Amino acid sequence: MTKELEHKFVTDLEQHQNIIHKVCKLYTNNQDAHNDLFQEISIQLWRAYPKFRGEAKFSTWMYRVALNTAITLYRKSKRTVQTQDFDSVLFKIQATEYDDTEEEQLRLLYKAIRQLSDIEKALVFLYLEDKNYKEIAETMGITEVNARVKMNRVKTKLQKILNP
Amino acid sequence: MDQLDLLKKDWKKQEEALPKYSFDELSQLIHKKSSSIVKWIFIISVLELVLPHLVYLFVDYDTSMQHYKELGIGNFITGFYIIFYIVIFYFIFRFYKNYQSISANSKPKELMQNIIKTRRTVKHYIWFNLAMVPLVSIVILHSTFKSEEFLNQLPENFNMAIIWVISIVVIVIITLLLWLFYRLIYGILLNKLKRNYNELMSNGNEVLQNV
Repeated sequence: MTKELEHKFVTDLEQHQNIIHKVCKLYTNNQDAHNDLFQEISIQLWRAYPKFRGEAKFSTWMYRVALNTAITLYRKSKRTVQTQDFDSVLFKIQATEYDDTEEEQLRLLYKAIRQLSDIEKALVFLYLEDKNYKEIAETMGITEVNARVKMNRVKTKLQKILNP
Repeated sequence: MDQLDLLKKDWKKQEEALPKYSFDELSQLIHKKSSSIVKWIFIISVLELVLPHLVYLFVDYDTSMQHYKELGIGNFITGFYIIFYIVIFYFIFRFYKNYQSISANSKPKELMQNIIKTRRTVKHYIWFNLAMVPLVSIVILHSTFKSEEFLNQLPENFNMAIIWVISIVVIVIITLLLWLFYRLIYGILLNKLKRNYNELMSNGNEVLQNV
């Protein structure tokens, strides 16, 4: 691969790196794991770059590769599960002490999201990124109806976690 | 859901707080070693395809063939080898084509499907090999047990059924061990992927609300 191609890729990556950081934020629970997943997504993006023909926007393509890496290609997930178990124990204690401040609500929401499955996290991520159902379906490779059903299921599950 | 909207608002605010890598840091990052599952799928699948054949390196083909001819199954073994290698090359070709289709560019559903398809080809290959073990063993044992050379070594009035039972038990155990070994590798590689794939593909029966 030529130097120019690499330069162009890294420039685009630098500009859109927030997308990867946000995926890492949802799929990991500590800084080490975050950096590790960030690295793997960047490597996968670079490998897939020659086949990126600009049919989609660079950012749209990044969503796809980043989610593929987090859901399917990345294998080191044990660390996350252990931290997650710890978090969910902590969460149960905290949830009983009802606190209505916005900050507390957000903290509990983030904790609840960490308890979701890989696929559910992907759906929440795309929802938070303001993607409509058509775009969510397109990015994940499922039908729009399926995307709606799944998103509703996630919302119900989150409600159940937050109000057991 | 109000809470998710609250989260969405916060999500956007948090963008400013996200870490930022410099151009140079990113340039170095992309050349580091990948720990992707695809590399392992490739390495393990190639080992699974090649390993059964390493055994043949230790077999003296001419002497074995001479032995099979004496047992009267020379033609069967030759025919078997021809068909066996045609099938093996077909599997290697299919594996190569499937492996090529695994790309991070695909949609998540397609990527999962392609990885599962690649592993399914290897699974069928393993099943084929597992089926061949008892088939060939029984043909060879049957001819051996009928040969005069073998019968002359047995004590008089020896019950052949005992030898058959022991032989079949040994064949079953070897086949089962190979199968267990394969299931273990398959499980280690694909458990997480299969769980995610099934979840992505499942169609909920829930009533559509808030759509």
